[in-house]
Amino acid sequence: MNYELHLLVYFAIYVIVALSLNIVVGYCGLITLSHASYFAIGAYACSLAMLKLHWAFFPATLLGVSISAVLSLALSIPSWRFKGDQFVLVSLVVQVVILSLLNNWTNPRFEFGTLQNLTNGSFGIVGIPRPSLFGTTLDTIPSMAILAVTLMLGCGLLAFLLKASPWGRLLKCIRDDELAARGLGKNVRMAKVQALAIACGMAAVAGALYATYVGYIDPSAAGIDQSILMLCYVIVGGVGNFRGPIVGVFVLLAIPEALRFAHVPDASAANLQLIAYGALLITLMHVRPQGLAGEYRIR
Amino acid sequence: MQVLLNGSIDGLAIATLALAWNVVYLPTRVFHIAVAGIYTLAPYLLWTCLHNHIALPIAVVLACSTGGILSLACEAANHWRLERRGAEASAHLVASLGLYIVLSGITALSWGTETRVLRPEVDRVIHIQSMVLTQGQITSITVSLAVISVFVTWLKFSNNGLRFRALAENPVEFALRGFNVRGMRLLAFALSGTITAVCGLVGANYNGFDLNGGLSILLLAVVASTIGGRLSFSGAAWGGLLLGIVRAGTVWFLGARWQEAVTFTLLMVFLLFMPNGLLGRDKRLEAAP
Repeated sequence: MNYELHLLVYFAIYVIVALSLNIVVGYCGLITLSHASYFAIGAYACSLAMLKLHWAFFPATLLGVSISAVLSLALSIPSWRFKGDQFVLVSLVVQVVILSLLNNWTNPRFEFGTLQNLTNGSFGIVGIPRPSLFGTTLDTIPSMAILAVTLMLGCGLLAFLLKASPWGRLLKCIRDDELAARGLGKNVRMAKVQALAIACGMAAVAGALYATYVGYIDPSAAGIDQSILMLCYVIVGGVGNFRGPIVGVFVLLAIPEALRFAHVPDASAANLQLIAYGALLITLMHVRPQGLAGEYRIR
Repeated sequence: MQVLLNGSIDGLAIATLALAWNVVYLPTRVFHIAVAGIYTLAPYLLWTCLHNHIALPIAVVLACSTGGILSLACEAANHWRLERRGAEASAHLVASLGLYIVLSGITALSWGTETRVLRPEVDRVIHIQSMVLTQGQITSITVSLAVISVFVTWLKFSNNGLRFRALAENPVEFALRGFNVRGMRLLAFALSGTITAVCGLVGANYNGFDLNGGLSILLLAVVASTIGGRLSFSGAAWGGLLLGIVRAGTVWFLGARWQEAVTFTLLMVFLLFMPNGLLGRDKRLEAAP
């Protein structure tokens, strides 16, 4: 049972990530390769606040969300001007700079967590405590699963309400015809800033949850391969609606489990999983560009 | 001087790969990420050939032609079909990303994930006054210069080169005048794959090779291409050279760990203040392809 609950925690974490990425890709029509960086910022900020400042989980997560939302300006301001593959390049810049900072904001002569050695470099942060709620530490997998599902439902509700609101319709309008949105007197720039801040903040929630669940975080969480994986979740499931990203996470998490049940050796399973992800991306672009359950066609 | 020399050598290697990427990007506007997979795969093919006692020249030809054929297959089975359905840049980018993931997965499945070298022996070193050159660096300079020279000569002085430039300049008008767009696209992908495989072999000969090398060097090539001027073949080459020198200078003044941050910050500066790059031309909005 614990294994199923463990999978449920991962499912919840990646659903939050996918729903947040859906706001950028599905509602704004911008393909980004820097989402893992914001996930990692949330994880690092929450871990440092819990370990060094002895903050509780929720205030620490809120700190991560705030930092991510502010740093999302690095993406949203260029998005006023760049689209398509130029925006992909901008997102790559953000990804590389954040990854470099996480890797290099370290100095072995100083204690970890100080201003001189904030991230501990490639060694990462170990011993991140599990969250405590009302004096109870969530140190079992079922209790973490409850927290993860609760946060997933909260983020899901937020994403759903945003999608159904006039603001969500404005984003779709910007995605389909930015000039028309401007012509109607809408503040396109502010809408993009808000959308990216919300998306990056949600990714930070997932990062905080991940760090406290695993108990360890290192800069590889902000790597480009992680960003590509996150992009796979939303493109496979589909973007532009609520159910697409959830379906994507379910399918992509089901593939390694299917390989495990087929008794594929672990060494080959990871690579076969990669091949399956890649093949799914190619096939979907030909057969169903809106993804398995999405609404917006990637053009 | 040594920093400048090392930077120029790395820059030439980046410039060659940037050229390979631009060969597809300019005429087709396809963001051909799959070449990163070809860059990774080519040294593994050469390594296998050499371990099966196939002579080096034949092994090199086999590895390079496999690169060309794979890239051709990407166009024939993927991008051309997407193009016919009216797909735009994002769909091509995602499909090419999928191809890259598949190629990387196949390479990892076939050869494992550990770092390898093509030559186990220590590089010979040549001293020129105060500068030091290794055998790997000399091979890298020679091959990069040869590839760039042959490509530029072909582009400037052959009929196909002229057609190629015309396609890159204005694909719509090229098609309307009745030229064979399909044939030129196939040529572009084959050339790109072959040049990328050559770059992969040179890089592996110089630094060794592993699974992750392809994507990181391709990103550098794209940065070089953007800095030099995305709508110009020569821009990619000059951008690569400049980037190599900047990266070597970063290692000298700040340390190797800041190389990527400086590289991509430079890209951001160019995107914001000089989006057409060093050799790019300003175009009227309605003249943009």
